[in-house]
Amino acid sequence: MTRWLSRRHPRYIRSIVYMLQASEYSIRDFFRWHERVEDFRHVEKRKRLDFTLKATLLYVSGWLATFFALAAAVLVFLNVGTPWNYVLSALIVLEIPLIVLLGVLVVLTALRFIQVPIEWFAMEQARRRLTVHKGIKIAIAGSFGKTSTREILRAVLSEGKKVAAPSGSHNTPLAIAAFVRSLKGDEDVLIFELGEYYPGDVRKLARTIRPDWGIITGVNEAHLEKFKSLQVTTDTIFELAEFVDPTQLYINGENELARNRRKHGNVLYSREGASTWQVSGLTSDLTGTRFTLSNDVSTFNVKSRLLGLHMAGPLVAAADIGLRLGLTVAEFERGIGKTKPFAHRLEPRQWEDGVTFLDDSYNGNPDGVRAVIEFLASLSGRRFYTTPGLVETGARIKEVHEAIGTELAKAGIEKVVLIKNSVTPHIEAGLKNTACKGEILWYDDMPSALSALRASSLPGDIILVQNDWPDQYA
Amino acid sequence: MAKTIAVIFGGKSAEHDVSIITAHIPIIDSLLASGQFDVWPVYIAKGGSWYADKVMNDLAFFKQPDWEEKVARMKKVGLLFDSGLKLSWGGMFGKTVSIDIVFPSMHGTYGEDGSLMGLLRMAGVPFVGCDIFASAVAMDKVLTKQVVAAEGMPVAPYVWFTKSEWEKNRAAILARAKMLSMPLFVKPVHLGSSIGMAKVKSEKELENAIEVALHYDDKVLVENAIEPLLEITLPIMGNDKPRTAQCERPLNKTEFFDFKDKYLSEGKKGGGGGANVGYSEVPAKIGDELTTKIKEMGKRVYKTLGCAGLARVDFLVKDDTKEIFVNEVNTLPGSLYHHNWKKAGVSNMELVLGLVRLAEERFGNEKGTSYTFQSDILRKVGGPKAQE
Repeated sequence: MTRWLSRRHPRYIRSIVYMLQASEYSIRDFFRWHERVEDFRHVEKRKRLDFTLKATLLYVSGWLATFFALAAAVLVFLNVGTPWNYVLSALIVLEIPLIVLLGVLVVLTALRFIQVPIEWFAMEQARRRLTVHKGIKIAIAGSFGKTSTREILRAVLSEGKKVAAPSGSHNTPLAIAAFVRSLKGDEDVLIFELGEYYPGDVRKLARTIRPDWGIITGVNEAHLEKFKSLQVTTDTIFELAEFVDPTQLYINGENELARNRRKHGNVLYSREGASTWQVSGLTSDLTGTRFTLSNDVSTFNVKSRLLGLHMAGPLVAAADIGLRLGLTVAEFERGIGKTKPFAHRLEPRQWEDGVTFLDDSYNGNPDGVRAVIEFLASLSGRRFYTTPGLVETGARIKEVHEAIGTELAKAGIEKVVLIKNSVTPHIEAGLKNTACKGEILWYDDMPSALSALRASSLPGDIILVQNDWPDQYA
Repeated sequence: MAKTIAVIFGGKSAEHDVSIITAHIPIIDSLLASGQFDVWPVYIAKGGSWYADKVMNDLAFFKQPDWEEKVARMKKVGLLFDSGLKLSWGGMFGKTVSIDIVFPSMHGTYGEDGSLMGLLRMAGVPFVGCDIFASAVAMDKVLTKQVVAAEGMPVAPYVWFTKSEWEKNRAAILARAKMLSMPLFVKPVHLGSSIGMAKVKSEKELENAIEVALHYDDKVLVENAIEPLLEITLPIMGNDKPRTAQCERPLNKTEFFDFKDKYLSEGKKGGGGGANVGYSEVPAKIGDELTTKIKEMGKRVYKTLGCAGLARVDFLVKDDTKEIFVNEVNTLPGSLYHHNWKKAGVSNMELVLGLVRLAEERFGNEKGTSYTFQSDILRKVGGPKAQE
């Protein structure tokens, strides 16, 4: 009944536009979500509708559909000369939500037809601008860690170069085209994230950018529902290799799938080093990560405020690229010193009562999860690991989540806080199969879990939130 | 099935606003977070009207500039004492909610002083915290001293008097006060949060301070200021077997621990996010011996007054000789002193749910007590025996 009534609430129009936007305008994802919603008045829980041009057009079309439907109902009621006019009029009014939905989807489909030439034109314009731009172009592809790697590169290279990179996670063609339009032309280095959802996505973007350098952060089950197999995911991400000199392509050696695809000349980076650089004395705690970087000629002690041993690899890769691009040692040391946790990616916060809160809510991939559990395991204090699990892991849903449970049990995490949904029972199974000694706590949703954790935590506790699901999955 | 709990706060008290904070941090927040209760916030306005609406479960409601107008537009709630306590809203769409347990969160007059507890006893509903008797004694600083001293525990030398006594014979009272040694503390007897309290160093200041104190209360206490002073406060929880939290040393900004220090200080040391963030050292660095003595004396005071659930016992320690004096007892410390309990290893949820359990335990124990007995006095009234 709530669902039926809420579809007839004026908020329904805004809600379906928000749901489309949050689903990145994927009709399939939108309908899956639409089927699950119980109350359309309250779908904007984590974010709000961003009134972009596209969203505004859809929103207006929703209201226009409503007014047309109401007008039609009135006309039928007044003018059709049979008793059925009352029934038909009532039917139109009752089915306004369906008319609105159809109206919005028709406009969305029309916009797609318009978007294709617009996107092509924008990308072509971007390609032409980038062809004449003298800046060095670095492209980052991978299932995970793109934004972190981009920000590390930005911080390190900014010490000696004028660096530009899109803000946020803007890695779609139109977002990249908009970023290129904003360039002044005097930048030394341009950094791009290449988003991938379907085969050919990376190639399409790389063809526009023509990168000089490339970084592949790794391949895993993220977006597996769309790619269907890890082989397709790997092929898509390695489309970047077609555009970059092999000696200028950096590959995350800690990721097995990526490592296995390396070719002669590619540079592997990991917490052990990159190129000629060796990492030693690597430690990480809540204040940051420290290590010594050395080669045959030099030795440096570096400290970053980024958390986790897994951060050493991208830091070393950034340092090596920086040195190859002409940065001095002092500049890259200073650059690494300026790297700090990014919003919602293992970002530490101190609650006023002495509790450490680690916000890793934007980290939703198996490699990131493993790295964070490794970090949490190294910390002392009562540790709470809170997660709703991962999304879009496709056919490997059980395997991926049981592995998380196993890792948590091995790490000896004291409190595992799970959000009730279809995937977390697999984490529980992994925990129990590995004789977990910690306590498993269940909550209906993340806000309830966080309220309970605030109320039940003590000074010295460490509370980590891993991968808060977006509204379309929650 | 979730139990229905009413958290009662606000009231006709100088500590009305503090009560709202305590009700939310940590009480309502923890009750809601536990998922075990249907929580009804019951707000008593400064004028005495009662309101209950779940929008008030969120502290943000009380941060709105027009929250008092919004409350005034709500339908007032009445109480029914029919088989326990019920909240009742009259009118065409009226409804009734049965309350399983009450969590009083009222500081000062008409709440912490035992008035509310009397009402709840009449309703026969379990309620959290001290009962009417302990609350009434603890609310009166003089009565507290008299009871504690009668049990052989030390209190600072003092005199007390009422407003009418002051008006009739001011000179005699000042003469008695002169028997004490300056500096002195002047305190309204029934108020908490140091409202109307002053430290005086001369007779002229004393008279002024008494006038101020009598503005807030009709009974005033004048006592020796212990110097050099070490203030220690100790939260205690339990019924028959009380347990102590940490000894806490307030870090005063002013000469005494005033309202501003308690509730408006912006320091970081105390922590906790409630009504008393950031003004104290927990645990107090006073050595194991003194800590043990204070904790033992705290438990004696708690039991002597018949406290139950939760209370906070305050001590004055002469810093050079380490002499301990019982100062006062607070039966509903601001925000339950949850910051201190956390340092003692008790989380907000454990504290709040623990207090609910203690309330149910006490209520269960009292069920066995008979308060009535059969007699034939009514039948005989007016008869020959009764007329003798």
